[in-house]
Amino acid sequence: MTPKQTTADLIRQLAASPAPRPFRTGVVAGGLLALLGISLGAFWLVFGIRTDLASAWLLMQVQAKTVLPLFLAITAVWLAFGSSRPGGRIVLWPLAVPLLLGVFLVIQRFGQVAEGSLQAEALGQTAFACLASITVLSATPLGVGIVMLRRGAAIRPALTGTLLGIAVGAGVTAGYALHCTEDSPLFFVLWYGLAIGIVAGCGGLLGHRYLRW
Amino acid sequence: MTAALAFTPSCDWAARSGSVRLMQPRVEVRLQQDKLWETLLARANDGDGAAFARFLGAVTPTLRAVIRRRGEALPADQHEDILQDVLLAIHLKRQTWRRDAPVRPWLYALARYKVVDAFRKRGASINLPIEDFADVLPEENAATPLSSRDADVMLGLIDARSASLVRAVALDGKSAEEAGETVGLTAAAARVALHRAMRRLSDVAERMMK
Repeated sequence: MTPKQTTADLIRQLAASPAPRPFRTGVVAGGLLALLGISLGAFWLVFGIRTDLASAWLLMQVQAKTVLPLFLAITAVWLAFGSSRPGGRIVLWPLAVPLLLGVFLVIQRFGQVAEGSLQAEALGQTAFACLASITVLSATPLGVGIVMLRRGAAIRPALTGTLLGIAVGAGVTAGYALHCTEDSPLFFVLWYGLAIGIVAGCGGLLGHRYLRW
Repeated sequence: MTAALAFTPSCDWAARSGSVRLMQPRVEVRLQQDKLWETLLARANDGDGAAFARFLGAVTPTLRAVIRRRGEALPADQHEDILQDVLLAIHLKRQTWRRDAPVRPWLYALARYKVVDAFRKRGASINLPIEDFADVLPEENAATPLSSRDADVMLGLIDARSASLVRAVALDGKSAEEAGETVGLTAAAARVALHRAMRRLSDVAERMMK
Protein backbone atom coordinates (compact mmCIF):
# COMPACT_ATOMS: atom_id res chain seq x y z
CA MET A 1 0.00 0.00 0.00
CA THR A 2 1.54 3.27 -1.07
CA PRO A 3 -0.77 6.19 -0.26
CA LYS A 4 1.45 8.79 -1.93
CA GLN A 5 1.20 6.90 -5.17
CA THR A 6 -2.58 6.82 -5.06
CA THR A 7 -2.72 10.56 -4.42
CA ALA A 8 -0.52 11.12 -7.44
CA ASP A 9 -2.83 8.83 -9.39
CA LEU A 10 -5.84 10.80 -8.22
CA ILE A 11 -4.24 14.06 -9.35
CA ARG A 12 -3.54 12.56 -12.77
CA GLN A 13 -7.07 11.27 -12.97
CA LEU A 14 -8.61 14.62 -11.94
CA ALA A 15 -6.39 16.49 -14.38
CA ALA A 16 -7.54 14.20 -17.17
CA SER A 17 -11.25 14.72 -16.47
CA PRO A 18 -12.96 17.68 -18.13
CA ALA A 19 -13.36 20.93 -16.20
CA PRO A 20 -16.82 21.20 -14.61
CA ARG A 21 -19.29 23.67 -16.08
CA PRO A 22 -18.68 27.26 -14.96
CA PHE A 23 -20.66 28.58 -12.01
CA ARG A 24 -22.18 31.84 -13.19
CA THR A 25 -24.16 33.83 -10.68
CA GLY A 26 -25.50 35.94 -13.54
CA VAL A 27 -27.31 32.90 -14.88
CA VAL A 28 -28.73 32.13 -11.43
CA ALA A 29 -29.86 35.74 -11.05
CA GLY A 30 -31.51 35.65 -14.48
CA GLY A 31 -33.30 32.41 -13.63
CA LEU A 32 -34.53 33.77 -10.31
CA LEU A 33 -35.72 36.99 -11.89
CA ALA A 34 -37.58 35.12 -14.62
CA LEU A 35 -39.31 32.84 -12.10
CA LEU A 36 -40.23 35.75 -9.85
CA GLY A 37 -41.63 37.56 -12.89
CA ILE A 38 -43.73 34.55 -13.88
CA SER A 39 -45.04 33.99 -10.33
CA LEU A 40 -45.90 37.64 -9.75
CA GLY A 41 -47.25 38.10 -13.26
CA ALA A 42 -49.65 35.22 -12.76
CA PHE A 43 -50.63 36.61 -9.36
CA TRP A 44 -51.29 40.10 -10.73
CA LEU A 45 -53.23 38.60 -13.61
CA VAL A 46 -55.52 36.71 -11.25
CA PHE A 47 -55.81 39.07 -8.30
CA GLY A 48 -54.95 42.35 -9.95
CA ILE A 49 -52.78 45.31 -9.02
CA ARG A 50 -54.47 47.78 -6.69
CA THR A 51 -56.63 50.15 -8.74
CA ASP A 52 -55.51 53.29 -6.93
CA LEU A 53 -51.82 52.59 -7.38
CA ALA A 54 -51.08 55.82 -9.26
CA SER A 55 -52.52 58.07 -6.58
CA ALA A 56 -51.39 55.93 -3.64
CA TRP A 57 -47.81 55.88 -4.91
CA LEU A 58 -47.52 59.54 -3.84
CA LEU A 59 -47.56 58.38 -0.23
CA MET A 60 -44.21 57.65 1.30
CA GLN A 61 -45.35 54.50 3.11
CA VAL A 62 -46.76 53.04 -0.10
CA GLN A 63 -43.44 53.54 -1.79
CA ALA A 64 -41.69 52.12 1.26
CA LYS A 65 -43.58 48.84 1.18
CA THR A 66 -42.27 48.13 -2.30
CA VAL A 67 -38.90 49.85 -2.17
CA LEU A 68 -37.72 48.45 1.18
CA PRO A 69 -38.35 44.80 0.22
CA LEU A 70 -36.78 45.45 -3.17
CA PHE A 71 -33.66 46.82 -1.53
CA LEU A 72 -33.63 43.88 0.86
CA ALA A 73 -33.99 41.42 -2.01
CA ILE A 74 -31.12 42.89 -3.99
CA THR A 75 -28.83 42.98 -0.95
CA ALA A 76 -29.71 39.44 0.09
CA VAL A 77 -29.28 37.91 -3.35
CA TRP A 78 -25.91 39.63 -3.67
CA LEU A 79 -24.83 38.17 -0.32
CA ALA A 80 -26.25 34.74 -1.17
CA PHE A 81 -24.10 34.66 -4.30
CA GLY A 82 -21.08 35.88 -2.40
CA SER A 83 -21.51 33.18 0.22
CA SER A 84 -21.69 30.52 -2.50
CA ARG A 85 -18.00 30.97 -3.21
CA PRO A 86 -15.46 29.91 -0.59
CA GLY A 87 -13.17 32.56 0.81
CA GLY A 88 -15.35 35.59 0.17
CA ARG A 89 -15.97 38.06 2.94
CA ILE A 90 -19.63 38.14 3.94
CA VAL A 91 -20.85 41.35 5.52
CA LEU A 92 -24.39 41.00 6.77
CA TRP A 93 -25.15 44.43 8.19
CA PRO A 94 -26.62 45.93 4.98
CA LEU A 95 -29.55 43.58 5.54
CA ALA A 96 -30.39 45.54 8.68
CA VAL A 97 -30.86 48.81 6.80
CA PRO A 98 -34.34 48.11 5.36
CA LEU A 99 -35.33 46.46 8.62
CA LEU A 100 -34.34 49.52 10.64
CA LEU A 101 -36.12 51.83 8.20
CA GLY A 102 -39.22 49.65 8.61
CA VAL A 103 -38.97 49.83 12.38
CA PHE A 104 -38.56 53.58 12.08
CA LEU A 105 -41.79 53.79 10.06
CA VAL A 106 -43.58 51.72 12.69
CA ILE A 107 -42.41 53.96 15.52
CA GLN A 108 -43.39 57.03 13.56
CA ARG A 109 -46.86 55.58 12.97
CA PHE A 110 -47.18 54.74 16.68
CA GLY A 111 -47.10 58.44 17.42
CA GLN A 112 -49.91 59.21 15.00
CA VAL A 113 -52.42 56.46 15.52
CA ALA A 114 -55.19 56.60 18.15
CA GLU A 115 -54.76 54.26 21.11
CA GLY A 116 -57.82 52.12 20.37
CA SER A 117 -57.23 51.50 16.67
CA LEU A 118 -53.63 50.35 17.08
CA GLN A 119 -54.43 46.66 17.16
CA ALA A 120 -57.02 46.82 14.41
CA GLU A 121 -54.57 48.61 12.17
CA ALA A 122 -51.74 46.15 12.84
CA LEU A 123 -53.95 43.09 12.24
CA GLY A 124 -55.60 44.60 9.15
CA GLN A 125 -58.05 42.75 6.94
CA THR A 126 -55.75 40.66 4.77
CA ALA A 127 -53.03 39.39 7.05
CA PHE A 128 -53.61 35.75 6.22
CA ALA A 129 -53.91 36.39 2.48
CA CYS A 130 -50.66 38.32 2.70
CA LEU A 131 -48.76 35.52 4.47
CA ALA A 132 -50.20 32.83 2.23
CA SER A 133 -49.60 34.71 -1.03
CA ILE A 134 -46.01 35.60 -0.28
CA THR A 135 -45.02 32.13 0.93
CA VAL A 136 -46.80 30.31 -1.90
CA LEU A 137 -45.42 32.60 -4.60
CA SER A 138 -41.93 32.19 -3.14
CA ALA A 139 -41.94 28.41 -3.17
CA THR A 140 -40.95 27.77 -6.78
CA PRO A 141 -38.28 30.47 -7.12
CA LEU A 142 -36.78 29.40 -3.79
CA GLY A 143 -36.69 25.72 -4.73
CA VAL A 144 -35.18 26.36 -8.13
CA GLY A 145 -32.75 28.88 -6.65
CA ILE A 146 -31.50 26.28 -4.17
CA VAL A 147 -31.01 23.77 -6.98
CA MET A 148 -29.08 26.35 -9.00
CA LEU A 149 -26.87 27.27 -6.06
CA ARG A 150 -25.92 23.62 -5.60
CA ARG A 151 -23.42 24.24 -8.36
CA GLY A 152 -21.74 26.76 -6.10
CA ALA A 153 -19.78 25.82 -3.01
CA ALA A 154 -21.46 27.30 0.04
CA ILE A 155 -19.26 26.74 3.04
CA ARG A 156 -22.13 27.84 5.29
CA PRO A 157 -25.05 26.15 3.55
CA ALA A 158 -27.72 27.22 6.03
CA LEU A 159 -26.62 30.86 5.80
CA THR A 160 -26.61 30.80 2.01
CA GLY A 161 -30.05 29.19 2.01
CA THR A 162 -31.39 31.76 4.45
CA LEU A 163 -30.02 34.62 2.36
CA LEU A 164 -31.61 33.16 -0.75
CA GLY A 165 -34.88 32.81 1.19
CA ILE A 166 -34.73 36.46 2.23
CA ALA A 167 -33.99 37.48 -1.35
CA VAL A 168 -36.88 35.50 -2.85
CA GLY A 169 -39.32 36.35 -0.07
CA ALA A 170 -38.50 40.04 -0.23
CA GLY A 171 -38.64 40.05 -4.03
CA VAL A 172 -42.10 38.49 -3.99
CA THR A 173 -43.16 40.91 -1.26
CA ALA A 174 -42.09 43.92 -3.33
CA GLY A 175 -44.42 42.72 -6.07
CA TYR A 176 -47.22 41.67 -3.73
CA ALA A 177 -47.17 45.17 -2.21
CA LEU A 178 -48.45 46.54 -5.52
CA HIS A 179 -51.58 44.44 -5.01
CA CYS A 180 -52.04 45.01 -1.28
CA THR A 181 -54.08 48.03 -0.17
CA GLU A 182 -53.11 48.04 3.49
CA ASP A 183 -50.78 51.00 3.76
CA SER A 184 -50.13 51.24 7.48
CA PRO A 185 -46.53 50.49 8.43
CA LEU A 186 -47.98 48.75 11.48
CA PHE A 187 -49.51 46.21 9.13
CA PHE A 188 -46.95 45.77 6.42
CA VAL A 189 -43.78 45.83 8.49
CA LEU A 190 -45.28 43.16 10.75
CA TRP A 191 -46.82 40.86 8.16
CA TYR A 192 -44.40 41.36 5.29
CA GLY A 193 -41.60 40.90 7.78
CA LEU A 194 -43.17 37.72 9.08
CA ALA A 195 -43.74 36.38 5.57
CA ILE A 196 -40.16 37.10 4.52
CA GLY A 197 -39.03 35.49 7.77
CA ILE A 198 -40.97 32.31 6.97
CA VAL A 199 -39.48 32.10 3.48
CA ALA A 200 -36.03 32.81 4.92
CA GLY A 201 -36.50 30.00 7.44
CA CYS A 202 -37.51 27.59 4.70
CA GLY A 203 -34.46 28.72 2.71
CA GLY A 204 -32.25 28.04 5.71
CA LEU A 205 -33.64 24.53 6.14
CA LEU A 206 -33.36 23.77 2.43
CA GLY A 207 -29.85 25.17 2.36
CA HIS A 208 -28.80 23.13 5.35
CA ARG A 209 -30.15 20.03 3.65
CA TYR A 210 -29.33 20.57 -0.03
CA LEU A 211 -26.46 23.02 -0.28
CA ARG A 212 -23.93 20.74 1.40
CA TRP A 213 -21.31 19.20 -0.81
CA MET B 1 8.05 30.19 37.37
CA THR B 2 6.19 26.91 37.61
CA ALA B 3 7.21 23.91 35.61
CA ALA B 4 4.11 23.97 33.45
CA LEU B 5 4.48 27.65 32.69
CA ALA B 6 8.11 27.19 31.90
CA PHE B 7 7.39 24.96 28.97
CA THR B 8 4.07 26.08 27.54
CA PRO B 9 5.03 29.59 26.42
CA SER B 10 7.68 28.25 24.18
CA CYS B 11 5.30 25.56 22.92
CA ASP B 12 2.74 28.16 22.05
CA TRP B 13 5.36 30.23 20.43
CA ALA B 14 6.58 27.32 18.38
CA ALA B 15 3.07 26.39 17.36
CA ARG B 16 2.28 29.95 16.42
CA SER B 17 5.41 30.42 14.44
CA GLY B 18 4.62 27.17 12.68
CA SER B 19 1.24 28.40 11.53
CA VAL B 20 2.61 31.81 10.63
CA ARG B 21 5.21 30.09 8.54
CA LEU B 22 2.57 28.00 6.82
CA MET B 23 0.16 30.84 6.05
CA GLN B 24 2.68 33.59 5.49
CA PRO B 25 6.00 32.61 4.06
CA ARG B 26 8.19 35.54 3.15
CA VAL B 27 5.96 38.00 1.38
CA GLU B 28 7.57 38.17 -2.05
CA VAL B 29 7.88 34.39 -2.33
CA ARG B 30 4.28 34.09 -1.36
CA LEU B 31 3.11 36.65 -3.89
CA GLN B 32 5.01 34.84 -6.61
CA GLN B 33 3.52 31.57 -5.53
CA ASP B 34 0.00 33.06 -5.45
CA LYS B 35 0.46 34.36 -8.94
CA LEU B 36 1.61 30.98 -10.15
CA TRP B 37 -1.32 29.22 -8.47
CA GLU B 38 -3.77 31.70 -9.94
CA THR B 39 -2.36 31.35 -13.43
CA LEU B 40 -2.43 27.58 -13.18
CA LEU B 41 -6.00 27.43 -11.88
CA ALA B 42 -7.25 29.93 -14.46
CA ARG B 43 -5.71 27.84 -17.24
CA ALA B 44 -7.07 24.68 -15.63
CA ASN B 45 -10.58 26.10 -15.63
CA ASP B 46 -10.18 26.84 -19.32
CA GLY B 47 -9.61 23.13 -19.81
CA ASP B 48 -5.84 22.80 -19.49
CA GLY B 49 -5.43 19.46 -17.71
CA ALA B 50 -1.66 19.72 -17.34
CA ALA B 51 -2.04 23.09 -15.58
CA PHE B 52 -4.58 21.55 -13.23
CA ALA B 53 -2.24 18.70 -12.42
CA ARG B 54 0.49 21.21 -11.64
CA PHE B 55 -1.90 23.24 -9.51
CA LEU B 56 -2.94 20.21 -7.47
CA GLY B 57 0.66 19.14 -7.13
CA ALA B 58 1.62 22.60 -5.92
CA VAL B 59 -1.08 22.88 -3.26
CA THR B 60 -0.81 19.29 -2.01
CA PRO B 61 2.13 19.81 0.40
CA THR B 62 0.34 22.72 2.08
CA LEU B 63 -2.88 20.79 2.40
CA ARG B 64 -1.09 17.71 3.67
CA ALA B 65 0.65 19.75 6.35
CA VAL B 66 -2.60 21.33 7.50
CA ILE B 67 -4.37 17.99 7.65
CA ARG B 68 -1.53 16.39 9.57
CA ARG B 69 -1.45 19.22 12.05
CA ARG B 70 -5.23 19.31 12.59
CA GLY B 71 -5.75 15.61 12.33
CA GLU B 72 -4.07 14.19 15.38
CA ALA B 73 -7.39 12.72 16.51
CA LEU B 74 -7.31 10.36 13.56
CA PRO B 75 -4.82 7.66 12.63
CA ALA B 76 -2.23 8.95 10.19
CA ASP B 77 -3.26 6.54 7.45
CA GLN B 78 -6.58 8.36 7.12
CA HIS B 79 -4.89 11.69 6.53
CA GLU B 80 -4.13 10.77 2.94
CA ASP B 81 -7.79 9.81 2.38
CA ILE B 82 -8.87 13.20 3.66
CA LEU B 83 -6.31 14.88 1.43
CA GLN B 84 -7.81 13.04 -1.52
CA ASP B 85 -11.30 14.16 -0.49
CA VAL B 86 -10.06 17.74 -0.52
CA LEU B 87 -8.36 17.34 -3.90
CA LEU B 88 -11.55 15.89 -5.35
CA ALA B 89 -13.55 18.81 -3.92
CA ILE B 90 -11.10 21.27 -5.45
CA HIS B 91 -11.76 19.63 -8.80
CA LEU B 92 -15.55 19.60 -8.44
CA LYS B 93 -15.79 23.17 -7.15
CA ARG B 94 -12.91 24.79 -9.01
CA GLN B 95 -15.28 26.92 -11.07
CA THR B 96 -16.45 28.72 -7.94
CA TRP B 97 -13.11 30.52 -7.83
CA ARG B 98 -13.38 33.96 -9.43
CA ARG B 99 -10.40 34.92 -11.51
CA ASP B 100 -10.19 38.39 -10.06
CA ALA B 101 -10.17 37.04 -6.49
CA PRO B 102 -7.03 35.82 -4.70
CA VAL B 103 -6.80 32.04 -4.87
CA ARG B 104 -5.42 31.39 -1.39
CA PRO B 105 -8.48 32.43 0.69
CA TRP B 106 -10.65 30.47 -1.72
CA LEU B 107 -8.48 27.40 -1.45
CA TYR B 108 -8.17 27.53 2.33
CA ALA B 109 -11.88 28.08 2.92
CA LEU B 110 -12.75 25.21 0.60
CA ALA B 111 -10.15 22.91 2.13
CA ARG B 112 -11.20 23.79 5.66
CA TYR B 113 -14.83 22.99 4.87
CA LYS B 114 -13.84 19.64 3.40
CA VAL B 115 -11.42 18.74 6.19
CA VAL B 116 -13.94 19.53 8.91
CA ASP B 117 -16.51 17.53 6.99
CA ALA B 118 -14.15 14.61 6.56
CA PHE B 119 -13.27 14.52 10.24
CA ARG B 120 -16.92 14.68 11.19
CA LYS B 121 -17.75 11.85 8.85
CA ARG B 122 -14.97 9.67 10.14
CA GLY B 123 -15.76 10.58 13.70
CA ALA B 124 -19.30 9.42 13.13
CA SER B 125 -18.38 6.28 11.29
CA ILE B 126 -16.11 4.93 14.00
CA ASN B 127 -18.98 5.75 16.34
CA LEU B 128 -17.26 5.94 19.69
CA PRO B 129 -19.32 7.46 22.48
CA ILE B 130 -17.93 10.85 23.40
CA GLU B 131 -17.79 9.89 27.09
CA ASP B 132 -14.85 7.64 26.29
CA PHE B 133 -12.92 10.70 25.23
CA ALA B 134 -14.16 12.96 27.95
CA ASP B 135 -11.01 12.95 30.00
CA VAL B 136 -8.51 12.82 27.17
CA LEU B 137 -10.01 15.43 24.85
CA PRO B 138 -7.27 17.90 23.97
CA GLU B 139 -7.61 21.50 25.05
CA GLU B 140 -8.77 23.94 22.45
CA ASN B 141 -5.39 25.55 21.96
CA ALA B 142 -3.17 22.78 23.20
CA ALA B 143 0.26 23.15 21.71
CA THR B 144 0.44 20.40 19.15
CA PRO B 145 3.95 20.00 17.82
CA LEU B 146 5.61 18.78 21.01
CA SER B 147 4.65 15.23 21.71
CA SER B 148 7.06 13.62 24.14
CA ARG B 149 8.83 11.94 21.26
CA ASP B 150 9.23 15.25 19.46
CA ALA B 151 10.54 16.70 22.70
CA ASP B 152 13.16 13.97 22.95
CA VAL B 153 14.23 14.53 19.38
CA MET B 154 14.46 18.25 19.92
CA LEU B 155 16.33 17.95 23.19
CA GLY B 156 18.82 15.78 21.35
CA LEU B 157 19.56 18.76 19.11
CA ILE B 158 20.78 21.09 21.87
CA ASP B 159 23.72 20.61 24.22
CA ALA B 160 23.47 18.00 26.95
CA ARG B 161 23.52 20.34 29.95
CA SER B 162 20.74 22.56 28.61
CA ALA B 163 18.78 19.48 27.65
CA SER B 164 19.00 18.05 31.14
CA LEU B 165 17.93 21.42 32.59
CA VAL B 166 14.89 21.58 30.33
CA ARG B 167 14.09 17.96 31.01
CA ALA B 168 14.24 18.49 34.77
CA VAL B 169 12.18 21.69 34.79
CA ALA B 170 9.68 21.27 32.00
CA LEU B 171 9.17 17.53 31.84
CA ASP B 172 9.86 16.36 35.39
CA GLY B 173 8.42 19.42 37.08
CA LYS B 174 11.40 20.48 39.23
CA SER B 175 12.16 24.10 40.02
CA ALA B 176 14.97 25.93 38.23
CA GLU B 177 16.99 25.98 41.47
CA GLU B 178 16.77 22.22 41.98
CA ALA B 179 17.61 21.61 38.34
CA GLY B 180 20.56 23.96 38.52
CA GLU B 181 21.98 22.17 41.56
CA THR B 182 22.05 18.82 39.77
CA VAL B 183 24.22 20.26 36.99
CA GLY B 184 26.23 22.51 39.29
CA LEU B 185 24.77 25.95 38.55
CA THR B 186 23.54 28.70 40.84
CA ALA B 187 19.83 29.48 40.77
CA ALA B 188 20.34 32.66 38.70
CA ALA B 189 22.69 30.97 36.24
CA ALA B 190 20.30 28.06 35.94
CA ARG B 191 17.47 30.38 35.04
CA VAL B 192 19.56 32.15 32.41
CA ALA B 193 20.70 28.85 30.95
CA LEU B 194 17.15 27.60 30.93
CA HIS B 195 15.95 30.71 29.16
CA ARG B 196 18.61 30.34 26.46
CA ALA B 197 17.82 26.66 26.08
CA MET B 198 14.17 27.48 25.56
CA ARG B 199 15.02 29.97 22.87
CA ARG B 200 17.20 27.47 21.10
CA LEU B 201 14.42 24.90 21.34
CA SER B 202 12.04 27.39 19.75
CA ASP B 203 14.45 27.82 16.87
CA VAL B 204 14.73 24.07 16.54
CA ALA B 205 10.94 23.72 16.56
CA GLU B 206 10.70 26.36 13.91
CA ARG B 207 13.20 24.59 11.74
CA MET B 208 11.41 21.28 12.21
CA MET B 209 8.20 22.93 11.10
CA LYS B 210 9.61 24.03 7.76
